[in-house]
Amino acid sequence: MTWSKVERVRELARLVGITIAEDELGEVADRVDSLLRELEKLAALDLAPIQPVTVFPEETDHGA
Amino acid sequence: MAHDELAFLSAIETARAIRAKQVSPVEVVQAYLARIGRLDKTLCGYITVLGEHALAAARAAERTLMVDADVGPLFGVPMAVKDQFWTKGVPTTNGSRAYRDFVPAQDATVITRLSQAGTILLGKLAMSELALGGTRRPAWGISRNPWDLERTPGESSTGAGVALAAHLCAASVGEDTGGSGRTPAAYCNAVGLRPTYTRVSRHGLMPACWFLDQAAPMTKTVEDCAFVLGAIAGYDPKDPSTSRRPVPAYAARLGQSIRGIRVGLIRELHGHPDVHPEVKQAIETAGETLRALGAEVREISIPLIVQAGAIYVAIGDTEGAGACDELLRDRPGDLDPASRTRLQAASLVPFKVYNRAMKARVLLRRQFMEAFGQVDVLMSPTSPYPAPKHAALTAPFAGTDDVRARFFFRRSYTGSYALAALPAISVPCGFTTDRLPIGLQIGARPFAEETLLQVAHAYEQATRWYTHRAPAATAS
Repeated sequence: MTWSKVERVRELARLVGITIAEDELGEVADRVDSLLRELEKLAALDLAPIQPVTVFPEETDHGA
Repeated sequence: MAHDELAFLSAIETARAIRAKQVSPVEVVQAYLARIGRLDKTLCGYITVLGEHALAAARAAERTLMVDADVGPLFGVPMAVKDQFWTKGVPTTNGSRAYRDFVPAQDATVITRLSQAGTILLGKLAMSELALGGTRRPAWGISRNPWDLERTPGESSTGAGVALAAHLCAASVGEDTGGSGRTPAAYCNAVGLRPTYTRVSRHGLMPACWFLDQAAPMTKTVEDCAFVLGAIAGYDPKDPSTSRRPVPAYAARLGQSIRGIRVGLIRELHGHPDVHPEVKQAIETAGETLRALGAEVREISIPLIVQAGAIYVAIGDTEGAGACDELLRDRPGDLDPASRTRLQAASLVPFKVYNRAMKARVLLRRQFMEAFGQVDVLMSPTSPYPAPKHAALTAPFAGTDDVRARFFFRRSYTGSYALAALPAISVPCGFTTDRLPIGLQIGARPFAEETLLQVAHAYEQATRWYTHRAPAATAS
């Protein structure tokens, strides 16, 4: 079965437990779709060896 | 000096005049309150004005000056803060109807430190809802850019931009998650600094994304910015993530030559085909000015920076949605449609995508640090275009391409520094032919705010764009 982007958003919203108004489903779908498309560009990068961090450790030097 | 002219002094000029007893803190506060009363109905820079509180604090400051001449560099300066900082006993709305009745029981550390520095709190400033952006129906009215009332003052520290451009406070502290301090500064001909992450306490700062949020000094001049940063920076046991590094005297290098300082013009941001031509020209002229001051300016590449807007949204918005989870589930109707749809979209971002963005963030930081192996500071436009019209900013998106063009592109300019946890400052850099302000962004390596301020100050003093007055600031 192929879902439209709006149907996919409606189903995802149900799964995560939020209610999206019918008249706002299109906008939410556009926002999600554009982000996923934009981040597809990162797929070309070799990110496998990188460990994500929230706060970077401080450098030992004290700036310029 | 005429009463109204007091409000056009910088924060440091105001403090000097107070220390020299050329003017009393009460007179200064009265001057600002009179301007707020006259202009802010139209401009909507403030959510809450603390008139009685400010006057009482000013009278107390007068009494202090009678017995103690040894006061700090910001003593008596009337300031205002973004309504994202807790203020004990004073409503703190986070720009949202959802928090309109929230009254904190304690002050944010930033508020405590501003008070310890002897500043006087004039009020709480308008902001786009939850420090996001594009709020379509702001609960406290549409904040208007004093340079052109049809245009946005910038987001999300909207009120700080308004209040500085219209001289409704002497200095302010906004907040910068992905550019929320620097962008209003650029659009309003003011100075906005994002300090290194961990430099300033986040205790009592209502969160958007906890590992990107930073308090942002927003001021009329670079000198003011240095002193405000000095007042609020430093370790805070209430925010264990804050750095224990000593706080330097940030103003110490202001006025020193920048001869020999290496400046990198970020090719991907400056050379992008969608940059407004007058912004591009202004940045090139800024490069020539820095060269004339003795700096070595050359182009430098940070390849991943063009993707920073999308990376930022994937991380910042997803974290923001997490911070607002209860609100999104139980009271979505309390939110403005722009915030609601943005956070709902972020709630649906798959973990795989979030994780990829978090890894790309680390790679972006590496690319920045490689650049800092070749140059001391980086420069670019703060925003690729001047302040947009309100209608263009708040219109619902018309498809995925519209989201990409309006939502991600601009965020690469400021969001990149936030992702990399680096300090960056926006300083006035001229005007378009329509008299819209342009901002020059200068960035530096972690904890190099002194270098940043030194270069920004040299540029500011050579150009003096900050002395220009917005039309709405001089309206009677």
